[in-house]
Amino acid sequence: MAAIALPENLDLKAAVPLKTALLERRGAPIEIEADRVRRFGGLCLQVLLAARKAWDHDGQPFSIKGPSEAFVETTRLFGAEKALLSAEFQGAES
Amino acid sequence: MDELEAIKVTFFQECEELLADLEGGLLAMQEGSGDLETVNAVFRAVHSIKGGAGAFGLEPLVRFAHVFETLLDAVRSGAVPSTIELAAVLLRASDILADHVSAARGLGDVDMAASAAMATELEHWTDPNASPAPAPVAEATAAETPVEAAPAAAAPADDDAMEEDDLGFVFVPQTITVEAQAADAELAPDNVWTVSIRPKSDLYRKANETALLLRELSRLGPIKATLDDRHLPELDELDPEAAYVTWNVRVETDEDETAIREVFEFVDGDCDLDIIRGEASVEQLAALVGATEPSAAEVQAPSTPELLVAEEPAPAPIEVQPAAEAAPPPPAPVVQAPKAAAPVAPAAPAAAPAKAAQVEVPGPGQSVIRVDPERIDRLIDLVGELVINQAMLAQRVGEYGIAPSSNLAMGLDELEQLTREIQDSVMAIRAQPVKSVFQRMPRLVREVANMTGKQARLVMDGENTEVDKTVIERLAEPITHMLRNAIDHGLESPDERKAAGKNPEGMVRLAALHRSGRIVIEVSDDGKGINRERVFSIAVKKGLIAPDLQLTDEEIDNLIFLPGFSTADKISDVSGRGVGMDVVKRSVQALGGRISITSRPGQGSTFTLSLPLTLAVLDGMVVDVAGETLVVPLAAIVESLRPKPEEIRPLGPVGSVLAVRDSFVPLIDVGLALGYRDQSPPPTDGVVLLVEGEDGSRAALVADAIHGQRQVVIKSLEQNYQQVEGVAAATILGDGRVALILDVDATIGMRRREGSTPRPPEPTLIAAE
Repeated sequence: MAAIALPENLDLKAAVPLKTALLERRGAPIEIEADRVRRFGGLCLQVLLAARKAWDHDGQPFSIKGPSEAFVETTRLFGAEKALLSAEFQGAES
Repeated sequence: MDELEAIKVTFFQECEELLADLEGGLLAMQEGSGDLETVNAVFRAVHSIKGGAGAFGLEPLVRFAHVFETLLDAVRSGAVPSTIELAAVLLRASDILADHVSAARGLGDVDMAASAAMATELEHWTDPNASPAPAPVAEATAAETPVEAAPAAAAPADDDAMEEDDLGFVFVPQTITVEAQAADAELAPDNVWTVSIRPKSDLYRKANETALLLRELSRLGPIKATLDDRHLPELDELDPEAAYVTWNVRVETDEDETAIREVFEFVDGDCDLDIIRGEASVEQLAALVGATEPSAAEVQAPSTPELLVAEEPAPAPIEVQPAAEAAPPPPAPVVQAPKAAAPVAPAAPAAAPAKAAQVEVPGPGQSVIRVDPERIDRLIDLVGELVINQAMLAQRVGEYGIAPSSNLAMGLDELEQLTREIQDSVMAIRAQPVKSVFQRMPRLVREVANMTGKQARLVMDGENTEVDKTVIERLAEPITHMLRNAIDHGLESPDERKAAGKNPEGMVRLAALHRSGRIVIEVSDDGKGINRERVFSIAVKKGLIAPDLQLTDEEIDNLIFLPGFSTADKISDVSGRGVGMDVVKRSVQALGGRISITSRPGQGSTFTLSLPLTLAVLDGMVVDVAGETLVVPLAAIVESLRPKPEEIRPLGPVGSVLAVRDSFVPLIDVGLALGYRDQSPPPTDGVVLLVEGEDGSRAALVADAIHGQRQVVIKSLEQNYQQVEGVAAATILGDGRVALILDVDATIGMRRREGSTPRPPEPTLIAAE
């Protein structure tokens, strides 16, 4: 299983390296550590969403582990909780 | 269309403010004092101008602003370092932007060649590698219609293409928006809104963030965002820096649409936005998608009713938008180019109302109201009458011998206080900082310096000094002339300056301050100063003065105000053309002002312009002179005293001086000076007012008696009669009589010229003789 740790700042500048890192690990189960994330922007959201689809398409497990509060909050704000968060983090919003 | 015109007027007013902010910020950057916030502010100024201009279809302005903005954005993100050279380029660009704004307003033309050259220069700064970049810009400029321009500009400037499509729409969609929403409002729950957010790649490129927008939106009330990732490509095909995902957000808020739009204020143009009242289900939205695939032709006709659909939060534009958005990065540019024109178009109606709404609704700045100046003028006149009336009333009551402690007298005192407060408040309405005039000057200085090959830096001081609007409007011309003169004639060339051990860059200072109840404008330079020998010889050569005339330095300096005097060897483009300082002097005098000059060889010259603060009111001392009633401005009076015989000393054939403590000051009989009498009575019979002129010189004015202080309403002599030397204006007294207001400085000056025996230049030294 491959693992990558997300940086604190998932902003504009993080999108390109994130895509590269993910592409390199394509084809195997992946675990993404999101415990350090403090800022989470729209571009990285797109990369993660595309990755999620890609892993689903490959039939490989894709999980985001130990998401920080900021990551969870922003993901919900984006309305992307179903795609990115495991069940335990999804329910809070009505 | 009147409504549109009114909004346009507001837009141009805002443009003026934005251009001023822009210039201020750029100047700060040039001086090295600009921080990131300055750069942001500069960016926002250009961005707002572009946004507003887009709403009105002002294409050349939008295009230039776009290139400008792109570079500023690169500076903001740190991709292009902020340097002094860059700031200089940006300043020149801001001048051209200002020209575009003026041209759009119908005031003047833009030098399109200069504009295109500047655009190329800006692009080169943005990306030095993309050197032959001007092509798309040139094509775009030449293009007749937006849609035609779009494919041409496609690959490198997809963004341009999008905005050009925006421009196809002028204002009409806004009206439709309002009506559509009004209709919706009746059916939908009051406090639920659906906001469709479709970010463009530029939004992210400019370091804006949808997460922040959503968070801001959530401050208005509970939100629920539905994400639409249908256009998200495969991971390996995805451009990590392009925008694909869009959102439909349900917002529950008691705020109005304006509040929702305000959230998106700073991404205006970089994010397509639709706001509708009520809930729109995904099905509804999807249905609309099918209904709208408008062709470019449809989109171009702004009045087609079909546009109504485009107004809805239809994902229609989204359908194809990602393709256009993906244009800048390498993948599949071939396919995008032809597609770009049509698909992007539906974005326009959404963008247009957003911008228009911003122009129309001032939002948080609603505390500002714009009032027709004529109404204020009328109010000021009325208050002036009120002051006179109150004074007359007080005088009549005084004539009846009513005790000061009586209720009536006390009531009158209160009335006087109130009148005065009303007057101050009313005057404050019309008072404006001189900034509005000053802010035009940095550009002038740059241009004049360029034309004359000199290096000049403008330092401004006291921009916030307030002065009545009527005066402000007439300040620009003399200041312009004095500044030109200072650079053209005052400053030396960089080489001369270096040789003289000075900084090759000359300094020109423009300052405003209040002094003696007037506004004083100083224009000084650190140049070579006035070459008095040359000025004298030129004046002799031109027959303006007799060759054997003995003049003080001050008098020689003032020769340059003589009509027909021009010191430049050859008439220059800048300050020549036979229009000299005499014109400035005359225009200043027509305003009831004065101009003077001081100069020190090798150190520079200072022009001092003094004008009345207002043409409305004055605190004065009412005095009797030879049976006439005069008003002496209180601001000029230092003290009043009764002279003793031993304090008076004769000086020269006619004059005399008064010993006041440690110094001697010239004694001036006002009656004599104004021609009321031929012979002065002994000064000891009268009262002396010790006055101070604007240059700090003192004099003792002799009057027969003092009546007391009073606030008087100024009635201009220039407007109603003509300028009279020694008289500043007139007023109407409480008893209905007209009294003249003394011009203290002119009176002192008259006396100096009269006793024109050789004497030292400094009037305060007169006592030494």
